[in-house]
Amino acid sequence: MRTTGKKSSNTLVRDLVNVGIFGALYLVLSGLGASIGFIPAFIVVSTCIVSLVTSVPLFLFFSKVERPLLCCVLLCMLFGIVMTVSGHGISFGLLCVIYGVLAGLCLKLFHKNFVGCLLANVMISFVPSSMMIPLWSSTEEYLAYCSSICDKAYIAHLAELSSSYWPLIGLFGFGAAGAVVGGFIARRMMKKHFERIGLAQ
Amino acid sequence: MIFSAPLVYSLLMVVVASILLLLEGKWKFVCTFFFVYLTAGFFFDFVKNLDIGTSGTIILASLFLMYRIMPACAVLYYVITTTKVNEFLACMSRMHVSNKVTIPLIVMIRFFPTVYDESRAIGNAMRMRGIRLFSLRTLKSPVAFLEYRLVPLLVSVTKIGDELSIAAVTRGLSAETKRTCVATIGFRWVDAVVIAYCVAVVLFYVIPGLTGNLPSV
Repeated sequence: MRTTGKKSSNTLVRDLVNVGIFGALYLVLSGLGASIGFIPAFIVVSTCIVSLVTSVPLFLFFSKVERPLLCCVLLCMLFGIVMTVSGHGISFGLLCVIYGVLAGLCLKLFHKNFVGCLLANVMISFVPSSMMIPLWSSTEEYLAYCSSICDKAYIAHLAELSSSYWPLIGLFGFGAAGAVVGGFIARRMMKKHFERIGLAQ
Repeated sequence: MIFSAPLVYSLLMVVVASILLLLEGKWKFVCTFFFVYLTAGFFFDFVKNLDIGTSGTIILASLFLMYRIMPACAVLYYVITTTKVNEFLACMSRMHVSNKVTIPLIVMIRFFPTVYDESRAIGNAMRMRGIRLFSLRTLKSPVAFLEYRLVPLLVSVTKIGDELSIAAVTRGLSAETKRTCVATIGFRWVDAVVIAYCVAVVLFYVIPGLTGNLPSV
């Protein structure tokens, strides 16, 4: 029986394994959700789909980890590393870490209750939304990069989006809205399935 | 900043991965990889010039994944198939990388095939019950479809994760002392040659004056 306030190193390993597992799941699900963005009309809404799809696994992840700050930072950092290796800039990796810290702090401050989980989910929903920031921060470079993988009509649509800042606000807004709606769905699913079989508290 | 190196540099890097895989006797994988890689590279410009709208973008994105992401996947395949988990951990420990980064990374890399297998098995079970992505039922209630596919996957993945952490703790992964490893791990001249070659390719890309003879494809 533990008598000190220090957490056991066994729980640290369990947390780290959970980060790896949910990191893999988050990557796969966000990739699937974001693929809807290949349809030009759905580019802005794709972040909402990603947040909706990833909310349930993230809520389960939040309920399972004992060190929320460390685990959220590591989850976002892993996502950032994979994205940096696959061609996104280092600045995106740094942004991921910042979102991870904010998500972890939300969980820590609200003691992993529903509001804390919801806020953390919103923070993590900004990660996929930030992937398109270069379209506004370095427009020409991003369009040149996209022109090597997309057809002309898609590039024209992207150029049209980059002319105003409203689509960027839309990306973040839809992402956050998806995270909030996804959070309520996740709470229902947690009560209906995971808490009943003892997978979450 | 977005990185997008010309295809010729990717080809130069692919050679390294192919030679390493050939040395391990994985010639079947190398042949298939080269066939897919070169075919995707060949058809990419052709499809790009067709200008066929959204379907063109989806095909282009798939081809892009094949010839830009596949080289990285080939290196990952080499690492996964030739390195044991304990050797990887010992190696990372020698490089002074914290366990907090190494464990999630190795679990994540090893878990992609598991997620795929579990998802396929659940998909088959759901198809037997008439639950499909492209059906009227899914259109009527997309949240229910999400529930039917996601909840079993999460339950199964979480249970696998719990078993994995128990196995890891049993094998002493949580011990706070320095690990030892039976395998001899070190930095040899072969590693130096491979790293020197990779650095040279990157330098050729980064320093514009050196790339005079290389085509900017």
